[in-house]
Amino acid sequence: MSPLLMGLLGVMVVPLFVATWRSSLIGLSCQGFLIAWAAYRLSPDLYSVDTWFTLGDLVLVRGLAAPLLLYRLLSSQKRAARHDMIAPNLLSWTVALGLVLAAFNLSATLVPSDGDQRALISVATAAVLLGFLVLASQSTPFGQVVGALRLENGIALFELGGERHHGTLLTHVGQVAIVAGTLALYLWLLRGFSVDGSLPPSAGQDEPTL
Amino acid sequence: MSPLVLVLVPLLAALIAALLGGRERATPILVGAAVVTTALALAEVLSAGAAQASYAGLVRVDATSRLFLAFINPIFLGISVYIWHRVRTTPALREGINRLVWLALVFLASTNALLIANHLLALWILLELTALVATPLIVRPGSETARRAAFRYLLFSTVGLGLVALGFSCLSRGMAATGVAPTFSVDGLLQLRPLPHDTWTKLGLSLALLGIGTKLGLAPMYSWLPETYDEAPPAVAALLGAVQFNAALVVLFRLVQIYRADNAALVAGQLLAMGLVSMVVSTVSIIATRNIKRLIAYASINHAGVIAIGLGVGGSASYGLLLYVLSNAFIKAILFLTAGKIMAHYKTNDTRVISGLIEDLPYSGVFLMVGTIALLGFPPFGSFLGELLILSALVGSGRMLTFAAFCTLITMTFVATGRTVFPMIWGPPKEKHDWPRQTLPAALPKLTFLVALVVLGVYIPPAFNALIQQVAASLEGP
Repeated sequence: MSPLLMGLLGVMVVPLFVATWRSSLIGLSCQGFLIAWAAYRLSPDLYSVDTWFTLGDLVLVRGLAAPLLLYRLLSSQKRAARHDMIAPNLLSWTVALGLVLAAFNLSATLVPSDGDQRALISVATAAVLLGFLVLASQSTPFGQVVGALRLENGIALFELGGERHHGTLLTHVGQVAIVAGTLALYLWLLRGFSVDGSLPPSAGQDEPTL
Repeated sequence: MSPLVLVLVPLLAALIAALLGGRERATPILVGAAVVTTALALAEVLSAGAAQASYAGLVRVDATSRLFLAFINPIFLGISVYIWHRVRTTPALREGINRLVWLALVFLASTNALLIANHLLALWILLELTALVATPLIVRPGSETARRAAFRYLLFSTVGLGLVALGFSCLSRGMAATGVAPTFSVDGLLQLRPLPHDTWTKLGLSLALLGIGTKLGLAPMYSWLPETYDEAPPAVAALLGAVQFNAALVVLFRLVQIYRADNAALVAGQLLAMGLVSMVVSTVSIIATRNIKRLIAYASINHAGVIAIGLGVGGSASYGLLLYVLSNAFIKAILFLTAGKIMAHYKTNDTRVISGLIEDLPYSGVFLMVGTIALLGFPPFGSFLGELLILSALVGSGRMLTFAAFCTLITMTFVATGRTVFPMIWGPPKEKHDWPRQTLPAALPKLTFLVALVVLGVYIPPAFNALIQQVAASLEGP
């Protein structure tokens, strides 16, 4: 496995054990940049508009905008530093490592020949499974958003090694716009929640609705 | 006529509503755009030509597109008329109506674009776009529970459509691994025979079905649906249940049309399993709930289960399945809009408090009664014939255990729904209120849906019947 993919696996696993929201955001940012680097290595054609859209999505949206905007939001809410992405106990840690092993076993079934493709699929599958673990472990909106973004990153990595010429430029632009739009909506919704994600007493229940 | 006008008209109207429409003009713009789009959609349906891809292969109007254009646009028009009437008669609703109007019009544009799209990735993008546009519509000012519901809706949408994207990526790898040039164009895939059925394709198809199932509210990822439908304003719940549900169903139909021939066992097995589990969880929830909107939401999950079973069986069930789908859309629109009217008057959604509707709100009482009877699959409605054909196909295909489970669950749903809803209609009024007079414009959308519902069960015009048969043939499988 290449050092790049090992690094990617590292930034996916380590924030699960370093239980602060800042480390989760740094992890997300590193994932964006490292997936962009992997994308560039797989398709180094800088004259292709497709490549620029892929790199723009990975670097600007996933690597910079998502973590920075979440950081600003959480800083303004003066959140406590600690935020466990998975339950802090031996069972969850074992499950997390077990999922990484399961991802490697699954990719060995899907890609029989050993090599870069199998390693890429292993890391991407691990990213998707760990994203689901975070989603399943979290009850706070912020944690769930981090889980969803982890899942999205895993899918982006999964798509890298495959044939990308089945899409048109229009569909590519559409995909990037959807990721950016989803992020914007998450931020808009998160702003309305209290710091611990609990709901304040509901007002406006008796107002007329459509 | 270019099919793109079905997208451009609502987009243009959304732009006008966002830039120029004041509070007074917003809802007439919504109704006007819905009228024009419905007329254009019906013209497109009647001008039946051969399905040919256009606009760089991204657009293609086939029988499936025509069938869904023909009923989604009129349902949107009905909901628009309801919104217009509610806003006209309730001044407090005028605040923020502009935003609702332009978002609803973008929602319609993206739904119509989805119906005519000829590319799997475009279908994915447009379905996600409908979710992004619908999310702010669920949020009600001042209601934190509605904001939480909107968040959960968006989260499940992201995860479900993420699974679909992952599935598409696997399908692409399956094509590449078996030496087929990867393509996601729907007509291209329909012409490719045989399609691969290797591990990548099976994994991809399974993930895509699971992801679309999430959007339809099928088990295992259905928990967003009751909360969202309960918290969203009734008109928005009707949009989600009767319009977006069918848009997601079109994506599922496309996958089945493409992949059933070469992966019949996987498609049938997964859809039957998801359908049956959905029926079980919804039946238990219908028995437990005392909330009118949640009851309709759980009934939606139940309907999604029936549709998944019908689609999984294929063959002769396909025609019945389509009748069921069409009836289901009208039923949900009627019930959500009626629930909105009832809740606006009683200021509660508790079914134990609402009683004697047939005396207090005769129109709403009749609509709730007829909607519930259609919901439960009684004649003369299309849902009755649809269920009957699905049951008959289950017996015909030798799936007797599924048949027995289906019958048991439907019976339990019938008893539980009747026990909750019928006292609301015919029970003695618990409080005497002085109701404002109910006007015909308020009832008109629901009355039109009701007529459509009866027509589907009694007499389907030949041109429309031919369209249903064409779509059914494409879903039957080997």
